[in-house]
Amino acid sequence: MSAKVAIVGIGQTALRTSADDRIYHEHDYEAARLALADAGLDRGDVDTVICSGWDAVDGRTISDMHTAMSSGGYLKDSSHVGEDGIMALAYAYMRIAAGLFDVAMVTAHGHAESSFETVSNVVFDPLFVRPLGQSHLVSLALQANAYAHRYGVSDEQAAGVVVKNRGNGAVNPRTHLRSSVTPEDVLSSDPVCYPLRALHCPPQSVGGVALVLCSEEMTRRISEKPVWVTGIAWAIDSYDLGSKDLTSLSSLSSAAQKAYGMAGISDPLRALDLAELHDITPFHELLAYEALGLAPEGGASRLVEAGDTARGGRLPVNPSGGVVCGNPYGAAGLLRAAEAALQLRGEAGQGQVPGPERALAHGMSAPSGAAARTDCVVIMEGG
Amino acid sequence: MTQEEENIIVPGRWDLPFRHTAGRIASHFFHALVEKRIIATRCPRCRRVLMPPRPFCERCFVPLDEWVEVKQQGTLEAFTVCYARFTGLPDPPYCLALVKLDGADTALNHLLGEAELEDVERMKETVRIGMRVEAVWRDEREGGIQDIKYFRPLA
Amino acid sequence: MAKRVAIVGVGLTRATSHRVDVSYPELVYEAVSGALEQAGLQAGDIEAVAYGSMDPFDGVFAPERWNVEACAGAGVANLPLMKITTGGTTGGSTALAGYYHVASGMFDVVLAVASQRVGESLEAQLVLNTAVDPIYERWQGAGAITIAALQGVKHFWRYGTTEEDLALIAVKNYENARRNPYAHLMRMLTVEDALNTRVVSWPLRLSDCCPSSDGAVAVIFAAEKRARAIADQPAWITGAGQITDNYWAGDRTWYEDWDSLSMLARRVYRQAKIENPLVELDVAELYNAFSIQEIIEYEALGFCEKGKGAELIRNGVTTMQGDLPVCPSGGVLCTNPIGATGLIRVAEAALQVMGKAEDRQVPDVRKALAHAWGAVIGFHTLMVLSSEAP
Ligand SMILES: [Zn+2]
Repeated sequence: MSAKVAIVGIGQTALRTSADDRIYHEHDYEAARLALADAGLDRGDVDTVICSGWDAVDGRTISDMHTAMSSGGYLKDSSHVGEDGIMALAYAYMRIAAGLFDVAMVTAHGHAESSFETVSNVVFDPLFVRPLGQSHLVSLALQANAYAHRYGVSDEQAAGVVVKNRGNGAVNPRTHLRSSVTPEDVLSSDPVCYPLRALHCPPQSVGGVALVLCSEEMTRRISEKPVWVTGIAWAIDSYDLGSKDLTSLSSLSSAAQKAYGMAGISDPLRALDLAELHDITPFHELLAYEALGLAPEGGASRLVEAGDTARGGRLPVNPSGGVVCGNPYGAAGLLRAAEAALQLRGEAGQGQVPGPERALAHGMSAPSGAAARTDCVVIMEGG
Repeated sequence: MTQEEENIIVPGRWDLPFRHTAGRIASHFFHALVEKRIIATRCPRCRRVLMPPRPFCERCFVPLDEWVEVKQQGTLEAFTVCYARFTGLPDPPYCLALVKLDGADTALNHLLGEAELEDVERMKETVRIGMRVEAVWRDEREGGIQDIKYFRPLA
Repeated sequence: MAKRVAIVGVGLTRATSHRVDVSYPELVYEAVSGALEQAGLQAGDIEAVAYGSMDPFDGVFAPERWNVEACAGAGVANLPLMKITTGGTTGGSTALAGYYHVASGMFDVVLAVASQRVGESLEAQLVLNTAVDPIYERWQGAGAITIAALQGVKHFWRYGTTEEDLALIAVKNYENARRNPYAHLMRMLTVEDALNTRVVSWPLRLSDCCPSSDGAVAVIFAAEKRARAIADQPAWITGAGQITDNYWAGDRTWYEDWDSLSMLARRVYRQAKIENPLVELDVAELYNAFSIQEIIEYEALGFCEKGKGAELIRNGVTTMQGDLPVCPSGGVLCTNPIGATGLIRVAEAALQVMGKAEDRQVPDVRKALAHAWGAVIGFHTLMVLSSEAP
């Protein structure tokens, strides 16, 4: 294993529906403080800060004026990605890998100050698509329908993914929706955007996530429980929904192949001990299995039916409960990395998978949903 | 495609509703303004009295929960007078002022009123960095930064 | 140790107050194809993209999504693309991101793109006002101009800088812009003309303030081996960094001095082994959105002592004929597609080192400095480009 970068600090605030007692960038602040304490470091040890988030969602141009400060960036070399926090992790990784920084803080926040769906409409171009009412979820529903139709994925099979994840979330005190649901609950929930029903869709959660990353040398000096990043890659796909195959996730396949190459993985189903995926809908968890090479095209739902991705299965997927249980928009991808790292440290609590050595975290950065979505894949190994 | 064809401009407008959470710190400050009191948070480590009050000190990276009442008089640290009209922004001329209230270590961003702004030359003679100013309160206070109507020069 | 990285190609677009002849993806395509052409590369040579814009100005949120294919077909090719946005420093931060992509050893050829259609919003100052904290400060009508005006008032008060000094800065930049086909304002301006323009926000007159522009820029970064193969004279990155000061307008006792920029300059000069910037730098592309800022930047960047910035322009030191020409492009004062502007500074500095700045070329440039500020004057980026590899 020749990893250059490790996760040495993890901070996440408990997710919830609202938090009127906090200004929005306090979520980053609280998560950053927790991550520093977890790493046994203080603000003075941090060399660089990468924060994340979408300004239009935050309702503040240059939101990193606030979040850079709440992430410990005062008079430091900070930057900001207009993406989900998983991409801040990718950027911090590059800064450390370049040998120019030793300790990086990565933060992300989700809040309820605006409706992500409403704001996402203005990602779409004003000439051809925006006036039609396209949005994050609408485009994802379009994709879910194309996939379900092509491979004959049934409502029951999609419900199975939700039941699995909500069951996992029921024992995760860090997530937002902590109750299990039955297949009947899912199948009888209100239609939102065909084929998506209310219980297919994630909540909009409030909370913060932070990770402290360190160079190899510094990690060996300060950390007793590092989680090494042994593979990381990201990719974007086409914007035009009309000119691509909606029934597969090419950006995720591309990122996965590169990350597997870096980490020396040829058979992911055997090599990985768990995965935290960005299950923005149950159909997208299935699509992700296929893009990640865990199942053949159209074969993903059989993995769920066989219990292979349940917490006690061959490859537990979303033992945290996933995005369907907790979805701080803009931090949900980074949260996958935090949860995967907790698992590798054996600190995931009741949802702990026994003795994992290698995990995959997948974050989606997609303000426009299925259009020009970015997928980032991180492979991690325990110390 | 002919050269004479007009380039079409599609009109646009973002109408995105937001509800910006003030949080407990700014809320406490606003509630005090209703009672004509100006309060700030003090950092337990660097001891700076931070105005406007904030939930953490970005230098010491510690949470702030100690409150200090500051004076309603202060010093004009910096200012400008805006003479141009911008859509959606206040009618010109208006004087944007940084006022360091007595007892605070940082200045409050606010407006200067009751000053001679219309004529640039007259303004240059009457509005000066370092001049003393005081808060003027609105009669109807609702718990917001504009409960202070503006600051005015102290005679 | 970081890999050696150089800029090997630059593409600029024409800039006007509203490029009604092109849709947004077409504007970006114009910049990217220009950079590929200058480097002699194909779209397929690009391995990753860093994209910068400051969203609300375009009326499109996350415009890199709509423009993804204009970035060397990044969507179809499933390239890694990362969106950077840090306010006025966005372009500078995007250059830094492009640099780190290559310096990490993960990529050999990376495209940095930045764009802004300020002309698509009907009131840029209203958009800028949304950068101001909505809880305490937004109501009062602050934007970029008023913050720069605060700097001016304090510089006048402390150091005796005058309206005539500001006019000299404007005249120099307007003169330079007339030799730059990518500049937005390309008209003659005399000191008398400048002093007769109206006061926008005291002490800044119209000629002290940048225009709102539509424009895009693309810069190609390459690892050492590829850089030497692609370009006869690559522009090597020998120093780079960003600094983030806080955003509380009232916390700043230094409006006239810009201490955070001095702090960053010390860090970056140390990397680039520069001891006396006035002597060692051959050209500087500074982020002079407002004339007063160019004077404060001279001081903060160590071209002169604090308070002596105006003397540099009075003595012609920073004109095209002077010891250290500043903004041969005409600078931000003549062209400002906001999120792209910081990357344009890097592009112009690279062109000077590569000897490809055409009519605005300064002779024999070996070291060039590119700067950007943003975030209600809280952020800065710097990059030093050199004709020799570090
Ligand atoms: Zn403090």
